[in-house]
Amino acid sequence: MHELSIAEDLSAIVLETALRETLAKVTRVNVSIGQLVQIVPGLFESAFIECVRDTVAGQAELCIEIVPVRMKCRKCGADIGIEDNNFSCSACGSDDLEMINGRELYIKSIEGE
Amino acid sequence: MRNILDRNQNRANEVRRLLAEEKVLMVNIISSPGAGKTTLLERTLGELNTKFRIGIIEGDITTDRDARRLQKFNIPITLINTEGGCHLDSHSISKVLDTFSLKDLDVIFVENVGNLVCPSQFDLGENFKLAVVSTAEGDDKPAKYPMLFREARAVLLNKVDLIPYTNFRMLNFRKDMEKINRNIPVFELSCTRGDGLGAWFEWISSRITENCNRE
Repeated sequence: MHELSIAEDLSAIVLETALRETLAKVTRVNVSIGQLVQIVPGLFESAFIECVRDTVAGQAELCIEIVPVRMKCRKCGADIGIEDNNFSCSACGSDDLEMINGRELYIKSIEGE
Repeated sequence: MRNILDRNQNRANEVRRLLAEEKVLMVNIISSPGAGKTTLLERTLGELNTKFRIGIIEGDITTDRDARRLQKFNIPITLINTEGGCHLDSHSISKVLDTFSLKDLDVIFVENVGNLVCPSQFDLGENFKLAVVSTAEGDDKPAKYPMLFREARAVLLNKVDLIPYTNFRMLNFRKDMEKINRNIPVFELSCTRGDGLGAWFEWISSRITENCNRE
């Protein structure tokens, strides 16, 4: 249930932004969440709805993009997708990889009026 | 793009800076409920308590049972009751840090709340995470929770004495670990019977010493 804690932090940022930008209504919140974060989108959405109930973001739509895992090989430079938990380079076999995507928890944009 | 957990991340960075100044190593121990974190700590304290100055942060959902089990070692222990929360975060750690005299410590072991998913997402300001998993849980835990096994500095496979009574297959476990993270040590232990503890004590002692001797 890390969904609830993450939703709490997300709603705090959304409300803080709405206040700063003097939004009367937040209509949409776009987030990117890496596959490795293992979030359950439905649970995350319910938790978010609870957190923003009776606020300017009470009617906001939460759009969740789940981002697949991608790594860059430090040895041969290949940009690779990770499937079936196989954390080694599909081009050269090296396990010296740098994570590009898969662990993010980002707010892409907050829309309102 | 803003990190949703940036409040947690900023506080974790402060904790990390403070501990680095005082040369205190912090180890974040993560496992399922019942994998043997507290027994591991009992064994580890029994061995290392005379060699290093150790503090404990016990994350517990509602009780103080784990903390009570460690009281016999007469070391500083602080309990964080998460009141139902499934993980510790950097704010809770930061709040209790001043219950310790950091200059009198070499290492703080944090026993996180028993859970393999949520604690992996929250940086506490630790130097590294330890994944503890027991054979009775099955051999598929690395495959199901890859993030923890990617990010841990070592894996402690506990309860190897129970393998004959379970469907745990060491080959499957090792194969998955090889795919997910072949660069970290996997210690095969039985914290009740004592198997493999020597190698673990040696490894963790080196990490503590290394941190104390940092410039």
